[in-house]
Amino acid sequence: MTAAPAPAEPAAARLAASAPWDAEADDALVCLAVRDETHDVKTFVLAPREPRLFAYAPGQFLTFSFEIGGETIHRCYTLSSAPTRPHAVAVTVKRVPGGPVSNWLHDTLKPGDTVRALGPMGAFSCFSHPAPKYLLLSGGSGVTPMMAMARSFHDVGEPRDVAFVHSARSPADIVFRGELELMARLDPTFRVHVVCETDSADEVWAGPKGRLSLDTLREAVPDFLEREIFVCGPKPYMDAVRAMLKDAGFDMARHHQESFDFGELPEADKEAAAEAAEALDAEAAPAATVRTFRVEFAKTRRVLECPEDTTVLDAARKAGIRLPSSCAKGLCGTCKSKLTSGTVAMTHAGGIRQREIDAGMALLCCSKPTSDLVVER
Amino acid sequence: MLDVTPTPLQRLLRERRPGYTLAAPFYLSPDVFEADMEVIFGRHWIYVGVEPDVPEAGDVMVVDIGKTSVAIVRGDDDQIRAFHNLCRHRGARLVHEEKSTVGNLVCRYHSWTYDLTGNLIHAEHMGPDFERGCHGLKPVHIRSLAGLLFICLADEPPADFDAMAARLGPYIEPHNVRNTKVAFQKDIIEPGNWKLTMENNRECYHCGANHPELTVPLFAYGFGFAPEEMDEHDRANAERYGCLLKTRHGEWEAEGLPSREIDELDTMITGFRTERLPLDGEGESHTLDTKAACRKLLGTFTNAKLGGLSVWTQPNSWHHFLGDHIVTFSVLPLDAGRSLLRTKWLVHEDAVEGVDYDLANLTGVWEATNDQDSELVGICQQGVASPAYEPGPYSPHTEMLVEKFCNWYVGRMTAHLGR
Repeated sequence: MTAAPAPAEPAAARLAASAPWDAEADDALVCLAVRDETHDVKTFVLAPREPRLFAYAPGQFLTFSFEIGGETIHRCYTLSSAPTRPHAVAVTVKRVPGGPVSNWLHDTLKPGDTVRALGPMGAFSCFSHPAPKYLLLSGGSGVTPMMAMARSFHDVGEPRDVAFVHSARSPADIVFRGELELMARLDPTFRVHVVCETDSADEVWAGPKGRLSLDTLREAVPDFLEREIFVCGPKPYMDAVRAMLKDAGFDMARHHQESFDFGELPEADKEAAAEAAEALDAEAAPAATVRTFRVEFAKTRRVLECPEDTTVLDAARKAGIRLPSSCAKGLCGTCKSKLTSGTVAMTHAGGIRQREIDAGMALLCCSKPTSDLVVER
Repeated sequence: MLDVTPTPLQRLLRERRPGYTLAAPFYLSPDVFEADMEVIFGRHWIYVGVEPDVPEAGDVMVVDIGKTSVAIVRGDDDQIRAFHNLCRHRGARLVHEEKSTVGNLVCRYHSWTYDLTGNLIHAEHMGPDFERGCHGLKPVHIRSLAGLLFICLADEPPADFDAMAARLGPYIEPHNVRNTKVAFQKDIIEPGNWKLTMENNRECYHCGANHPELTVPLFAYGFGFAPEEMDEHDRANAERYGCLLKTRHGEWEAEGLPSREIDELDTMITGFRTERLPLDGEGESHTLDTKAACRKLLGTFTNAKLGGLSVWTQPNSWHHFLGDHIVTFSVLPLDAGRSLLRTKWLVHEDAVEGVDYDLANLTGVWEATNDQDSELVGICQQGVASPAYEPGPYSPHTEMLVEKFCNWYVGRMTAHLGR
């Protein structure tokens, strides 16, 4: 008798993966599992077809491109998964009445389906602000980045004092309730407190009721003033928390907040997300990758990386380099610069003459690199 | 009877004695200078350059006439336009170099951007009610006479430009100004009133004593002489010149080259004069060996022995069109006692310096002559400032054109200021 070759075990292959996921090389993520968290919240577990490892900071988000009703819609979702389990990522989405994307995800996305994503991006993470003691404050769906942070600390087992105070509408709306209770039971340095606005149909809430107040907070976490505080939730919630902390004399330099609402994102994150959305749009071929070129500014001796789909001016702006510019559409020529070496693809609107182009000049506002560049600026 | 008190300038104009130089204030007074800028340079066609100054789309040339700066631009439609050289935002000077090439015209102060037809196409932060259409560049009248550019700062320029162009154009066109390039330009500031610069140009009475280079190719006889005073040698030369002129004019006219004199120096608002004059020696060009300075001839010429077509326009230009090159002069007043003389040497656009022409040879005669004239204008300016100065008589044989210049000037000033 000969043994039949063992069938490849996909999970084993996934765990054996060693190459990091590179969204620029492969932005297609396959939905592996869909989990019900509450009556209107689901978690979607995603990974590339080829097993890869995800590296990110807990609190970061991905920008997705969904094909819904023949239309491409972009959304940013914070990862609820922890980078300590790098073989897949997860987003946790609450159904929003009338929301085209959340409803589509809940009703349509199933294991085996593919979505496209770029990232991770965002600066909102406990990893950016190391501290011995944390307070994680979340309201509603704002729980996702907090969960990613809590899971990360829990998984690595470092002694870290984390207090997690979550505000939910009712007991039935507490996302990750079981897992939070489990982590608290297993780890004495992790404490969780939930504030509910109301009871739910089948449960009377025994904990603090109403909205989060300073008294509730003091009672739950008496030493909150000594902690690094992360806040995420709807804008009214975050505004209330901010006011509360100020009143309590908290050092606001140690207060960090992020909305899960795209419109409330900090500008830099918004830009990164918008750019990712653009990049997702621009990639017609599934395997298309965005090359990045080195741009050197000879006079100021600054060097930056400029993706081939980004204008040199935009890349410079993002890198904090100030270049003279005005119209940003190739009209006024204020950004006209000499290219000492390298080539660009330029779509100008009359702000430069062919003779100037022939002499090595370019308008940086409408020039995308096609090679490494040295700019006389 | 009207009881009108004339201004000092009106009185000066009224008292000007025909056939005599102008009274001292015409050369010295800041008030007269201001009136000159307003009336003569503000309301007449002023020669400022040539089409090859702005050969390609996007080329810009700036010319300053007194306090007015004008940008002359060739657009993408190949049309040449002129605009007041200031931004409609805060009035900043728009173009700063005499010659430049632009995509659009952009004010460096706040990046207001105008296309080459003068429309404002970009202005940030001006709010939704801002009307770009009302803030285009202010146009200046500009005309090309066979490639020579004239601008007029007045709202309504003299209407006889076309009449001049119709008669002068055929003389100039064979030299094909548009297919030339500016091989060299020289600006010199003459230490004298602009009228002294012009008067000096309008006679060759001084040539024999002062222009050893120019009189190699140029017959001074071409600008008048008094035969009864000449010795036998001079008379023989003058007769030889007279015969040459007659023969040559016949030949050139037969070849389709208009040559005979037209003189409207003081009979038109846009006064002018032209005549094609034979040259001495080889008869080809204004060079020290009287041969062509440039191997590539102008237009469709195959023979350089075409003499020199002289063109004068009132109030500020003169030109020599030769078979191989063109020398063109414009005078722009700076103040009562200083004038900018701008000279351009044009050769065929395909001619290569060092191969088809030698720049020193091309420019030698007129560089020397201009320097000599500048000195002469300077000593005249010094002299008229003396309390002992009184207007002196012009020669009826060699200074007729000077008298016509002054007559035109007095006539135009009087027409605008009244008696």
